[in-house]
Amino acid sequence: MTTPRAHHRRRAGCAIVRITAVALTVWLQASWVTAQKLTLAVTPSTVSFASADPDTTPTIVAAPITVSVRVQSNSGAWHLTVQANGDLLSGGATIDATQVSWTAAPPPFQNGTLSKVAAQPIASGTGNVNPAINGSVVFRLANSWNYSAGIYSQTIVFTLSAP
Amino acid sequence: MRIRSVIVAAVFIGAAQASPALAQPQSATATMTVSVSTSAKLTISSSTLTFADANPDLVPQIAPAQGALSITAKARATDNAQVVLTVQADDDLRSGLQVIPASAITWTASGTGFASGTLSKTAPVTLGQWTGSGSRTGSQTLAFRNLWTYATGTYTCVLLYTLSGP
Repeated sequence: MTTPRAHHRRRAGCAIVRITAVALTVWLQASWVTAQKLTLAVTPSTVSFASADPDTTPTIVAAPITVSVRVQSNSGAWHLTVQANGDLLSGGATIDATQVSWTAAPPPFQNGTLSKVAAQPIASGTGNVNPAINGSVVFRLANSWNYSAGIYSQTIVFTLSAP
Repeated sequence: MRIRSVIVAAVFIGAAQASPALAQPQSATATMTVSVSTSAKLTISSSTLTFADANPDLVPQIAPAQGALSITAKARATDNAQVVLTVQADDDLRSGLQVIPASAITWTASGTGFASGTLSKTAPVTLGQWTGSGSRTGSQTLAFRNLWTYATGTYTCVLLYTLSGP
């Protein structure tokens, strides 16, 4: 036989448990929905152009690289860009970054021309990309007799962002 | 209590919708390298020059039948290095035992970096000079000094053009 006071205490305890459970459930759901995740990988991490006669090889083609993009828990737009940290350098000699272009496939990967002053779009979309998509990117260098002899180098940066 | 639980849940939902957890932009880098080797390529419009016989009084300087030579000198050199185009005769003009000095042939040139000169068998003579890599085009108009003193005959020699860098 329970007293009215004990019965009231038991009901209050149940209510607190219920509040905690509901709050925890909502918090977990909210966390799961909003945990946006972006994953980007570039392999290999080197792009090499071999020396060639500009007359017979006006465009030097590098081996393709694979750019892997994965976007999770995203409801808006996402963008993948690439930008050179500067012109290609060999001591005091330079090759303008804009002499490098690329072709990329499949869509949403797109072709473009490298720049040192602005990030150039290489892929974009909306929502999720899951599982990851792999783009094959082939860089091309406009060959010229005007280039000084040497080994030129520069870092290019791929950036995946959303929104 | 039921009312309180609904309120708590609404607060959590509202908070979740007001500040979604956006991921930071992700970056990946690649190193780009370009190899440019030293090289040179010389193109001359004709490999033969023929100076026809002529009256020295009327034609003191004989132009070749092929006209002016069109020359393209392409070179890849290290930064700011000198690129030089020279020409040299392997010998005097000879017809059996008869000799006409190589210096009887002179030329004028046009095009940036190209220069006029007189042929020599003893040393290369500069026909063009430039700084650094590039493709240069010009013309060389040769002339043969015609004299009554030359013995009759057909004279020949070989001209060697050399494009070089460091």
